[in-house]
This record gives sequence, structure tokens and C-alpha cells, in this order.
Amino acid sequence: MSWAWFDRCGQPAPGVVASAPVWTADGARAGFFCAWDHSAAQPSSTASKIDGRAIDAQGGPGWVSLVLAPPGLFLPFDDPAVAHATRMVLSMPPADIVSTLVEGDDRCRGAFTGERERSGRLAYDPFATLFPAVTLRVGAGFLGHMPAPTGPSTQRYGGGNPWPWDRFGEPT
Amino acid sequence: MTPSLVVGAPFPDLVLRDHAGSERRLSQLAGDDPVLLQFYRGWWCPKEQAFFRNLVDLQAEAEVAYTRFVSVSVDPPEVQAAFRVGIGARWTFLSDSERVWVDELGLMENADATHRPYLPTVFTLRPDLTIQSVYNGYWFWGRPTNEELRHDFRAISQAIRSDWDPT
Repeated sequence: MSWAWFDRCGQPAPGVVASAPVWTADGARAGFFCAWDHSAAQPSSTASKIDGRAIDAQGGPGWVSLVLAPPGLFLPFDDPAVAHATRMVLSMPPADIVSTLVEGDDRCRGAFTGERERSGRLAYDPFATLFPAVTLRVGAGFLGHMPAPTGPSTQRYGGGNPWPWDRFGEPT
Repeated sequence: MTPSLVVGAPFPDLVLRDHAGSERRLSQLAGDDPVLLQFYRGWWCPKEQAFFRNLVDLQAEAEVAYTRFVSVSVDPPEVQAAFRVGIGARWTFLSDSERVWVDELGLMENADATHRPYLPTVFTLRPDLTIQSVYNGYWFWGRPTNEELRHDFRAISQAIRSDWDPT
């Protein structure tokens, strides 16, 4: 397990390991999801760390609830509001993909929750209480798949790792 | 109970559907943390409801202690999902509704021919699934108290965390 850089860009970006167009729920173009290998330098000032398994360049289309802090804002992972959101995620039916978005080692900048098929699961995103949220349709070539967290842990074992899977070894 | 399920022995790496219907492997659920593995009769049993209230109290500590819970029964996933939400549990439930493992583990409660449930049993496991403790909960007082579970998790954590004493 490893992590990747993630950002939503206005147009396809260079050097990505995966990229796909995204649309709003009413069909308007909403830019591109872009992911870069973790070994790359931070590709943009707004890029965040994401669980690498959330990304698959061979993945099919789907839907994502993207919660993202405005540039320059974040919450510490130890903030009670972040802990409450993680508890709520563990209480809910599992999503196909869920990863918090991390800046540095201990800053939560949002969350990325994905489904292959649109379902009611994305209608309520606990992380949307932290920052603005938008539900987006994602084209093929970006979404991965990951197991649901076991619970009840809400903590990250080491700094720098996105919750819910809390520790990463050397990249594989 | 199968004679091999004793302290120090490896617990079988169960593969079962979780409360959402996805296939899960016990070793994957354990990851790198201590595990509470609970076999329970079913949602309908008042003893189980009482015991779950203890576990739900304990999860407030487990959620910050790098410790994982897994509960197993013969209830189907959709029943487990509803029960799990109802009691406020935030951990993974596994369904053996087809009773694939109950005989192999020797954990069928033969006194109940109607439900053919699991014999209430709690194991504490190391991350490699080595059994730390076994609690036979057929009689309610055989079940572990939260204090006993804390002792188990302390012993496991002390053994597996290389930085347990950072000095």
C-alpha cells in the first residue's frame, strides 16, 4: 500500500499516473481528476495525499463525493470534527472507495468517497460538515477499489498517512 | 470447540461476507493490530444484546488504541447491518449464514436446534492471528469483562509494538 498525489485540475496535467474528466450531477464539465505518483514533487500547491488504492488508471467510471478545503485551509486530524466524521463513516454502509485527503503529516484537507454505481451512499457525506462538498461523475481511467475499514479505529498510526487505512510501507 | 483453538495456536484465516455482503479475509481485517474476534448467537439473544453493550462502550477506547473488532454470526449480512447500526457498533460484522465455518471451528451451539447459532465465544488475537485468550460465553459470566479485554490488548500491544517503551 502506498499513497499518491491527488488534485482536481482545470485541464489534463502533465506527468500523471491517472487522469479522468469529471462532470457535475447535472452534466456540466467540472475539470479533471489527476493523480501523480507519490515520488513526484508536490505537483501543485493544492494537491493532497490520497490512498493509492483509490486510484486505478484502468478503473471504470463512477461517482465521487469530493470534500475539499478551500486553498490554504485545513483541519488538524486530531480535531474533534474530523474524528466525528470518521466515526460516522464507520457507522455507514461501506463505500467502494474512501480516503481522507492529507496535507503534510497532520492536516486534513477533505475526503474522497467513491462508488462505481451511483447510490444513496454519496447523498450524505460526513466529511461535508468540514468543508464544501460536491458530487461528481468521473470518467473511466481513474477510480480504484479498496476494502472497507475494519473499525472501530479512527486514528492514523503514523503521520502522513491518509485515514482509514492508517499505515503504509514502502511503495509496491 | 475444535481442540486446536487454544492459547498460542493460530486461528484459521476465515473468509466470509461482511455486513455489506463483500467477501473479507480475517487476516486482512486484522492488519497490524490486536483483534477482538467475537462469535455470537444472533441479534435476537438478550445475552448477546447485553454483551454488545459492553463492547460498544469499549469501542470508544479501541478507536484510539489501534485495536480492531470483528463479530461473527449466522445472521445474514442485511440482518447484521441493521443490528450493527441499531447498537451503534462501528466495526466489521461477518456472516456465516451458510454455516461454512461453524462446524469446522467446532463452535455450533447444539442446544439450539432452531437457530443453529454459534456458541458464544470470544477470542483475542495477535495480528498474525495467534490466539491470546479464549472466553467461552455459553454462560454469560464466562464472557470477558472489558477489564479482561484491556489486559489482553495491553499484553498483545506490549508484545508487538517495538516502541512500547520509547525510552
